[in-house]
Amino acid sequence: MEKNRRQQSLYHTLVDGLRTDQQLLLMSQQDMLLLCSQPIERPLMTLTHSGTPEDFVPTSQSELSRFLSDNATSARKQTFPVGGRTSLAVCCPDSHSGPLICTSQLNRVVDYPVRDMTITVEAGMRLNQLNEIISAEGQRLPIDVPQSNRATIGGVIATNTSGPRRFSYGTIRDYVIGVSAVDGVGNLFKSGGRVVKNVAGYDLSKMLVGSLGTLSVISQVSLNLRPRPECMQLVWFDFDSCQSVDQALEAIVTSGTRPTAIEYCNSKAARQITAESRIELPNENHAVCICYEGPENVVKWQAQQIIDEWRAFSSLDAQIIEGAQASQLYNALTEYQTSSDDPVTLKAVVLPSQMMSFIETATSLNIAVQAHAADGIVFGHLPDSASSLENVNQILEQLQSVIDPGTGYLTIYQCESDWAESLPLFCSPPAGWELMQQLKQALDPLQLLNSRRFTELVKS
Amino acid sequence: MVDPDNQTSHLVAPVLEQLERGSGPFSSLIQQLTQIVGKNSLLYDADELLVYECDGYIVDKSAPDIVVFPTSTEQVSSIVKICNQFNVPFLARGAGTSLSGGCLPIGGGVMIVLTRMKQILEINLRDRYAVVEPGMVNLHLTNALKGTGYHYAPDPSSQGSCTIGGNIATNSGGPHTLKYGVTTNHVLGLEAVLPNGSVINLGGPTAETPGYDLHGVYVGNEGTFGICTKAIVRLTRDPEAHRTMLAVFQTISDATRAISEIIAAGIIPSALEMMDQGIIQAIEEAFHFGFPLDAGAVLLIEVDGLEIALDEEARRIVEICNAHNVREIQRADTPEERLLIWKSRKQAFGAIGRLSPSYCTQDGVVPRTRLPEILEFIEATSQKYGMRIVNVFHAGDGNVHPILLFDERDQNQIQQVMEASEEILSKCLELGGSVTGEHGIGVEKINFMSRIFNETDLSQMEKVRNIFNPRQICSRDKVLPPHGEKSQAAVTLSHPGRRAPH
Repeated sequence: MEKNRRQQSLYHTLVDGLRTDQQLLLMSQQDMLLLCSQPIERPLMTLTHSGTPEDFVPTSQSELSRFLSDNATSARKQTFPVGGRTSLAVCCPDSHSGPLICTSQLNRVVDYPVRDMTITVEAGMRLNQLNEIISAEGQRLPIDVPQSNRATIGGVIATNTSGPRRFSYGTIRDYVIGVSAVDGVGNLFKSGGRVVKNVAGYDLSKMLVGSLGTLSVISQVSLNLRPRPECMQLVWFDFDSCQSVDQALEAIVTSGTRPTAIEYCNSKAARQITAESRIELPNENHAVCICYEGPENVVKWQAQQIIDEWRAFSSLDAQIIEGAQASQLYNALTEYQTSSDDPVTLKAVVLPSQMMSFIETATSLNIAVQAHAADGIVFGHLPDSASSLENVNQILEQLQSVIDPGTGYLTIYQCESDWAESLPLFCSPPAGWELMQQLKQALDPLQLLNSRRFTELVKS
Repeated sequence: MVDPDNQTSHLVAPVLEQLERGSGPFSSLIQQLTQIVGKNSLLYDADELLVYECDGYIVDKSAPDIVVFPTSTEQVSSIVKICNQFNVPFLARGAGTSLSGGCLPIGGGVMIVLTRMKQILEINLRDRYAVVEPGMVNLHLTNALKGTGYHYAPDPSSQGSCTIGGNIATNSGGPHTLKYGVTTNHVLGLEAVLPNGSVINLGGPTAETPGYDLHGVYVGNEGTFGICTKAIVRLTRDPEAHRTMLAVFQTISDATRAISEIIAAGIIPSALEMMDQGIIQAIEEAFHFGFPLDAGAVLLIEVDGLEIALDEEARRIVEICNAHNVREIQRADTPEERLLIWKSRKQAFGAIGRLSPSYCTQDGVVPRTRLPEILEFIEATSQKYGMRIVNVFHAGDGNVHPILLFDERDQNQIQQVMEASEEILSKCLELGGSVTGEHGIGVEKINFMSRIFNETDLSQMEKVRNIFNPRQICSRDKVLPPHGEKSQAAVTLSHPGRRAPH
């Protein structure tokens, strides 16, 4: 495990030191083999493809359009859009049997009218670059993105990535006000615009959010921004049972405070997260971490208020984390959903009122669990002991049995490449599956864009 | 395009000959629909149909051939299947408050009125959602939630009469859009009857669902994707407190600069409503609120949230207004005073009747910082045509509602309103904005679509519409410019709208 971590660290150091994906591709042919000579887990999934002369790095939307149009009319090769390659394993990793389309050179600011609090950027812009630009103006995009030094805004939209703040700020779909994209046959199209209020035409940006690059390659986006808060504090609670967590979460419905995020971690996850953040916090039971943001006096008042409100549910003293430590812990919470070394990461979406019974079962199966608690979104990292497909399938069956099939979903969020073929990504087709297939057919009639990734959605 | 000599509707040509009254197919259609909904839930008498010949967009009219009032999803599905069987176009209608002709039954057909499907099916505070039928009046949901600490955030100005189904169709906004977002930000899932009669569920009560975000694409379809029969909507915590202020400015540009500065300072007010001098004078004449008649603009500013945060936010707002030459700021210290301040805004449209026999409200959007430019342009347009134009609008998100005052008995003025509206909306586009922020495209602005979007954009939208509505039998000739000369003529505007207040 420790060796694996060292390799990952080396990998990130190398990647962070590179300026473009093009360079990464060039490097990957020579050096990555050496780097990856020993098996490592998650990063390997992002590096299964070695750069080939066929890969395409467009520098403009029209180049991208021309490439896909030419491909559709001649070679008709399967193509695979990639941004920062942080989520290639999400919802079915693919073997990449054709050229990658790397958006790394589409990384410019198109327009940033600061006072309007909107920005238009090309889709390959990395999140940390975007954050740097807008934070200089006291603004932010309140979407939590793991590996933000690599993830691109186009990738965030394509994978619908979100984190703890989604409780109060929503997800990326709430911030995209306009989008340009190129479909599977090279049509460059746009939807929406650059103003925050606009109902002209159908909102096609919604269909691209979470579409995993299967409908089109996102090339440019306009985003609505929010002001940066003055201050953030976290409050770490320790509970002795799932029942007491559930009672506390129910009480949040009428809390006098307005949390920004409410994160749950079982003991296994709490130990890993506190170790990562290098903050000493109780981590042997059930932890709930509440985040407050805003003016300092308001944040402080709320932190104390929630401690008073939750005294009835948690026997141990709560701890307030502020300043640099608050950022460290928040980052660890954000990264954890994708940073495990474990072979399979599950994602369950259930009603918040049903979440703790699911978590109780998951914990009994030795799964490390983190949840965006007020949203009912649970990430579970399966243990090393589940190192056979048979074991994983048994665990899935047990978990599926405690999910209400009418409202909840259990998905394989990411897993070992070798297992992707065999694990059921979804147990049944999602609502509207037939329309989704038609949408895929309409935007990518030749099935040239990540098509396996889409059809694998309902593999069972 | 404009045909001032012909004020009769262009939208009356029957689409399908077999619907001719008295014909066998027509009688058979009536008979089958009666079997579904009963004889008391169906209208086909020509006089009764007149009520349904238009919505809030009263310019062009086209009566449906039959109106039905279903009470369940099953009935809606059966009605739609019958319409398919007879090849008769159909469309849904809620309270008819659309301001762009979204409920206009072009060429007739069957109108499916959903006002009898108005039940709250579930309220779940723990999981923060409610399930409602589409005919539920927006405000009735919030009223039903009173005392729970939650409300339904989207609040169009017509929320006392408009329906949740209609809000979903048009992705409605309202005064609180700036802070809380529009309808699409609050819809978790929905049930719909597709134009072929099948029933489909999209999204759900959980925070997210797998696959493509089809319910997200569905919101704002203006009735062209099918008929929403159930909605799962997100509930929002009530703010603990409010601070409401009325800031009087000497000039519009001072007011718009203050708006920009407030938001740049990191304050997102829950409402930022602007009234210009013309509307101030009308309001004052009608209701005597005590506004100075020579003021250039009045801003209604409201912040909400935790009590502990609001005094500081209000203090900073006052500071910013002072830095932009505010003449005076009135602050509501009691709930009664707050209501009085809001009354001045809400009664603004009521005062317009004192100014002019007819008016036309536009719905342009510009980036917030371009408000001074669009307002100057509106003023210049007013002078160019010798026509009075007043402004009351949601300034925080750049959604302007210039109100063009005219006398519809004067043919020349009608022509001028059409031209002035066109120029103002074109200027909004030139400034990087849009021609509609909350009213929708409907039939009213359909000719702008090809100016906002190129052929490829429109073709992609058409592909998506055709997935839901391949035969275009449901709410035809809306949103997207239709193909063919006959269809194009069907949406040619002949008269400016005298819109309902917003």
